[in-house]
Amino acid sequence: MFNIENWDWESKEKMLAEPAKWKDQFEDVWEPYISPDGEKIASIVKIGEGEFNIAINEGTWEEPFEKIWYSRFSPDGRLTAFITKDMEWTMAVDGKTWEQMYEYIWDTKFSADGKIIAATTKVDSVYSITINEKTWECPTKLQSIASHVISPDGKTSVAIAQTVPLAEGDVNAFTKGAWSVIVNGKPWNDNYADIYGLAISDDGKNVVAEYRNSICEYGILVNEKPWNEKFGCTWEPVFHPKNSDEITAPVRQAGQWFLATNGRIVWDKGFINLMHQTYSPDGNNIAAAVAPSFAKWTIAVNGQPWSKTFNECILKPYFSPDGRKVAAIAKDSGKWLLVVDGTVLGEGYDNIWPPVFGPNGDMVICKVEKNGKYAIAVNGKIRGNDYEALWNPVVSPDGTKVMICGVEDGKYYRKVVLLSDI
Amino acid sequence: MKPTIAIREPVVDDLMDQTEKILTEEQIEKVINEVIDQETGVRLQTYVNTCIHCGLCSEACHWFLSNDRDVSFAPVTKVKDTIWVMLEKKGKVDAAFIKRCSQIAHTECNVCRRCGMYCPFGIDIAYMMLVVRRICAKLEMVPLYLQDTVNSHAATMNQMWVKPDEWIDTLQWQEEEAQGYVPSARLPLEKEGAEIMYSVIGPEPKFLAQLLGNITVIMKVAGLDWTMPATAGWDNSNMAMYSGDFEVMARVERLHHETAQRLKVKKIVMGECGHAFRGGEYDGPTWLGWMSPPIPIVHAVAFYYDLIKSGRIKIAKKVEGPVTVQYPCNIIRNAGLGSKLQYIMNAVCEDFVDLIPNDRHAYCCNAGGDTINCGPPWKKIRVQSAKIQSENFKRTGAHTIVTPCHNCHSGVEDIVDGYKLGMHVKFFSELLIEAMEIPEHLKPKEE
Amino acid sequence: MYEFVSGPLVWIAFIIFIGGSLYKIYNMLSGAKKDITLFRHMSLKHSLASLVHWVIPFNNQYMQKRPIFTIVSFAFHICLILTPVFLLGHLVLLDESWNISWFNIPDKVADWMTIIVIAGCIFYLYRRLTDPVVKNVTDGSDYLLLAITALPFITGFIAYHQLFAYKTILIIHILAGEIMLIAIPFTRLSHMLFFVFTRALFGSEQGYWKHSKDW
Ligand code: HEM
Ligand code: SF4
Ligand code: SF4
Ligand code: SF4
Repeated sequence: MFNIENWDWESKEKMLAEPAKWKDQFEDVWEPYISPDGEKIASIVKIGEGEFNIAINEGTWEEPFEKIWYSRFSPDGRLTAFITKDMEWTMAVDGKTWEQMYEYIWDTKFSADGKIIAATTKVDSVYSITINEKTWECPTKLQSIASHVISPDGKTSVAIAQTVPLAEGDVNAFTKGAWSVIVNGKPWNDNYADIYGLAISDDGKNVVAEYRNSICEYGILVNEKPWNEKFGCTWEPVFHPKNSDEITAPVRQAGQWFLATNGRIVWDKGFINLMHQTYSPDGNNIAAAVAPSFAKWTIAVNGQPWSKTFNECILKPYFSPDGRKVAAIAKDSGKWLLVVDGTVLGEGYDNIWPPVFGPNGDMVICKVEKNGKYAIAVNGKIRGNDYEALWNPVVSPDGTKVMICGVEDGKYYRKVVLLSDI
Repeated sequence: MKPTIAIREPVVDDLMDQTEKILTEEQIEKVINEVIDQETGVRLQTYVNTCIHCGLCSEACHWFLSNDRDVSFAPVTKVKDTIWVMLEKKGKVDAAFIKRCSQIAHTECNVCRRCGMYCPFGIDIAYMMLVVRRICAKLEMVPLYLQDTVNSHAATMNQMWVKPDEWIDTLQWQEEEAQGYVPSARLPLEKEGAEIMYSVIGPEPKFLAQLLGNITVIMKVAGLDWTMPATAGWDNSNMAMYSGDFEVMARVERLHHETAQRLKVKKIVMGECGHAFRGGEYDGPTWLGWMSPPIPIVHAVAFYYDLIKSGRIKIAKKVEGPVTVQYPCNIIRNAGLGSKLQYIMNAVCEDFVDLIPNDRHAYCCNAGGDTINCGPPWKKIRVQSAKIQSENFKRTGAHTIVTPCHNCHSGVEDIVDGYKLGMHVKFFSELLIEAMEIPEHLKPKEE
Repeated sequence: MYEFVSGPLVWIAFIIFIGGSLYKIYNMLSGAKKDITLFRHMSLKHSLASLVHWVIPFNNQYMQKRPIFTIVSFAFHICLILTPVFLLGHLVLLDESWNISWFNIPDKVADWMTIIVIAGCIFYLYRRLTDPVVKNVTDGSDYLLLAITALPFITGFIAYHQLFAYKTILIIHILAGEIMLIAIPFTRLSHMLFFVFTRALFGSEQGYWKHSKDW
């Protein structure tokens, strides 16, 4: 997390705002968001008919707008949102709007340091990506943009876009390909029937995507070059965290799902389904959500599924910082469970948010929901009090403390707790 | 066995005609055997070997009954003319045969599963028609309009080529419309942790945006914590499930369910659509390896039932005059919501006139199972083959037919037009909006 | 000849019938395991519910709509199965060679039951020839199956009444019965074996999985 060393890890507890009071001040108050460092809390508020503002800590933005939506904090703590004036839209950052107005703007993405803010924009029915107010100069008029991704350094941005107009019912043009990948404004040479699962390597050098040519003909494209192997279906590819030439994707063959790296099947065992493959931080291990048999879900680490399975589903696996432990959230018989290395920790909850590991991996902390209230659970057991609203806990860089931000009795608190104390 | 004599008016379907010209017999043989060997098993074999050729299933099928008992529309005939031949000839058939298979399985069967209920062995003919569709899809022998819809699913993850900004823009516009009735109404986008994710099918933002305004009002009056996604994954419909492109079906369903997981909701409530419920609750999860959807899906009929029964929504003024209903196969016969539908109909209508047969025995509207999505070339025969249901509607003397399913809605509109019934066709939510009580404090202030 | 058909051949027929049936069922069940979802969508309760509604006459809407067919079909099948099992003549043979016996039905009644079976076959034949849907899905094999079913009863009837050439007819009767037994596992007469399973599957799918009913 950006600049995490310089966050306030000393103040034990700060009461930073009273969101409950907003309800008396404004006609309507939307759900709050907090800045990554927990110092700010903000909500979009309605102040009158066709008049919105953002309440942030004790104040508001200077200027109200006709409409505001999608308020999101950047990693460096600036608050962004989309606003409209006279039927046109733009981005506002800390209350200041971009100069250019757009027919529409949506889907904000940030670089890791938050310095770069990108969004999809539309002007005169042409779609593009706008990065810090600068719109791609794309030689092709993009007909639509399905999604976009930006590299951690913010220097590379890519999108899945429709490059060729399609008349209604023109299936031949569709099959020939109307979609492509646009890298920093430059389309790849070829068009494809469909593109999915776009990703950029952490170093920004390589771009990967799934493509679909026709029914049961799928493959993986790395910088425009397809893997030699084709598959009955694929899911989203991911990069090795240290080696951007290594790419791994779930692939389907003869009715089963396998894990393939650079085109070669690397796990000998096939599954009913295989999704969310995740590398350990050092890249030496891979874990994935798998179904070894129908309606039995678990995590497989390096191809070896845990013996305990769950009858509803399992979400993305998370490695501990040292890569030795894997945590995941599973659902069994209507309850969400925290599972670490195949063992259920604590009890079942109505909801569990992504788990965070303590420094040596023996502590797993997460936000949980029970009976409409939120709480922090350590190794699956609730510690401390309930909150009306709560955010994911963040462990300090030295691994001794955890930041917990939440709303209690209508007041927003930012607390820093010693890991040994919770 | 002599081939069935099937007399049909010639239909021009550009894609099927084109495919017929280019398909080779080697391709056909390979695909048929591949699908039969790898994608089916004892289930198909047992069905084929158990069928005693008694013809009892014919009585179930509205195609057969509406076309003066024309043999070529009987369920068992549909199997004979497709699967039996493929098995007997071990896949050695020609392109014209595959075209006819596609016509039978796509345009002359709604996979409504009524015949399964009338076969003494419970042989699921709809399942076999889906196997035929799978074979046809792999050979790209699919009706043009249907394939175009599947292409839309594949490219945009919605049924109607709705672009991401158009989707969000429509929701924001409908939120304002809703505020005309209830000023404090809100359509919350991307609200993580809400109780409910509401999802709809592609035609709602495209043609029937007012339904989104209606639900915004209903949610406010019921006081529910809900959200809608501002990303792809909002569309719960799935024509790929019906065309036989199960990979695209699975991708669409996966995104829909994972959007709900991402938003951390407790359940998905979906608008009034039958096949979308089937895709979200049954076919999609099954392909993906889930017994049931990891975030439960509640169909609008069950949702409104809960709201009315619990008193969260009160009825101020019932709809006057006789009103009847279409029982959508995918939520009634194949999901058991019949009595809930009857309950909510009685709750909002003064004079609910039931159909005969009703509930799970009701006839299909003949739009479902993709048939209506095969488009204008196939419309004439579709409407003609809904005659039996048109007679049932007529008998009720209703002024309005309620259709808690989008396909039924369009299909029943075609029936009303085609048979000059002079009835209105409405979604349940349209009646509910008129009938429900809007509490004083939510009403616009008179100035 | 008589010794052979009424001795070893009976053994062979029963072994093939029972062995073949077990094999067919085993084959189906082991194949069904490969269909990953099949068993997961099944439930005993809903399988039984479906069977209850389909083996009791008039216990579902559809049978009520077709009273004649339902009566014929039930009468035919009941007589078809009960007559050979409880016929005094058969039981005497069983008693002679094995010394076991059970309840028998009076010959008069058995005679009428035989007639019902034959009449049922004629009814089915008539449908095959006249009902357009049935006719369209009929080929030689369907007539053959009807013949295989009818022949033991026709010959049994003739033999019992000793209408002519008793010894020859008796041999043909025994042979026909053996052919029928052997045919059951290997032809569509195997519907006798699979009925329970196809019903259980559809009943479960409709009831357990889809929260509806299949009757
Ligand atoms: C207990 C086991 C059996 C069950 C549950 C059963 C069930 C059925 C059913 C549901 C039908 C469909 C039409 C109708 O209802 O009439 C049928 C037809 C028939 N069954 Fe069976 N059956 C059984 C045993 C047998 C046996 C042992 C035979 C003969 C060896 C047989 C011969 C036939 C014949 C000839 C037909 C009529 C086919 C036609 O329409 O031409 N059944 N059976
Ligand atoms: S599934 Fe429905 S439309 Fe298809 S054959 Fe059976 S009854 Fe007819
Ligand atoms: S009712 Fe069943 S057994 Fe009879 S013909 Fe139809 S599918 Fe075959
Ligand atoms: S469109 Fe409606 S009635 Fe027709 S098959 Fe769907 S759900 Fe059935």
